[in-house]
Amino acid sequence: MTPPPAMDRTRLAAFVDGELSPEEAAAVVMHLARNPDDQAYVDDLFAANAALAQAFAAPMGDPLPAPLDQAIRGTAPASAQVIAFRPRAGLLAGALALAASLAAAVLLFRPMDAQSLAAGPVPSGSPLAEALATLPSGTPLPQGEGRDLMILSTLPTDTGPCREVEALDRRAARMEVALACLDPARGWSIAVVLQEPLLPAGEDDAFLPAEGAAAEGLSAYLDQRGAGLALSPEEEAALIARNWAQ
Amino acid sequence: MQDRFRQDLVALVPKLRRFAYSLTGNRQDGDDLVQAACEKALRNAAQFQAGTRMDSWMYRIIQTLWIDDRRSHQRRGTAMDPDDADLSDEGKAASLPEDRMMLAQTRAAMAALPEAQRTVLALVAIEGLSYRETAETLDIPVGTVMSRLSRAREALLPKLGLSQGPRQ
Repeated sequence: MTPPPAMDRTRLAAFVDGELSPEEAAAVVMHLARNPDDQAYVDDLFAANAALAQAFAAPMGDPLPAPLDQAIRGTAPASAQVIAFRPRAGLLAGALALAASLAAAVLLFRPMDAQSLAAGPVPSGSPLAEALATLPSGTPLPQGEGRDLMILSTLPTDTGPCREVEALDRRAARMEVALACLDPARGWSIAVVLQEPLLPAGEDDAFLPAEGAAAEGLSAYLDQRGAGLALSPEEEAALIARNWAQ
Repeated sequence: MQDRFRQDLVALVPKLRRFAYSLTGNRQDGDDLVQAACEKALRNAAQFQAGTRMDSWMYRIIQTLWIDDRRSHQRRGTAMDPDDADLSDEGKAASLPEDRMMLAQTRAAMAALPEAQRTVLALVAIEGLSYRETAETLDIPVGTVMSRLSRAREALLPKLGLSQGPRQ
């Protein structure tokens, strides 16, 4: 059987670059099955794209250079008010240091996603809602793709119980700290999210938060809500067992 | 608003550094470029239209600054990353692990492309923009994106040992 005539290379490139409609792409796939030369060219294009992505991936995993960070954020530090009795955010970053050294090496090529914690109601049934309802503080919860989540603490406030959540995204070298509060009628809702870049720490390329500004920033929000002392593990476990009934 | 803008910008920085690295071929030059672009973006934050893509806006600023810089300095070629410099020594290069060789070759081949082609290839193949997004970012017709892309790949693939000349 004679292979069909070669296809225009611009079209093959458009196929590789994801520019074709499903119907057009299907036609190219059918063509490639019968034309080994064009198939080889398409393979080469994919290989070149992969090589390019990898060749310039190094900055994706690097900490933000200090001058750049200052240029973007300005020099004003976040609220210096620290509530000493609360567990410090960054706990998860430290706890997962070893895992990070592995993950950091391989997870850097993928494009970044949007932030993982977003202010507003937490959709019921989502993994985050599940974690807020049942996960004890201090237990890391892997989310896949270089992400981890941990509840740092549970605190009583004027409006009901709130929980501090820390999310790590090693691929994006970013840490988020959020305050999620429970409304008896509407469920969990994230009141505030603070973000900061992660820096590699020590020799094993583990990540640690750059400056702790995000963690300290939450203090102001907790103060506004009249937050008290963090619950003890026993108090928290009892509250979870009661399904958050006061 | 301003805080949100800064936050979004911080989140974009890794991608911006990657793009700048692929343009300059050098980590330090790339970071200097991103720094200048961020400063420019912050000065002109009011011009950014909320709801539009900030990454395209930043890619454009980076690309414009890069071209300006090249014009004013009339530099020739692209400074190579020190890590890749040992490739000129063939004995040493032969001892490099194959992947590293390939990556260094890729950076060298990218650096050898004309800037206009390099920019388009970086946006499409590395940053994952569509042809249309690339065209809008660079303010050029989609057809120009496609022809630059095609020429860039024609030059690049043989250098990566991939496509050995035209088969058709």
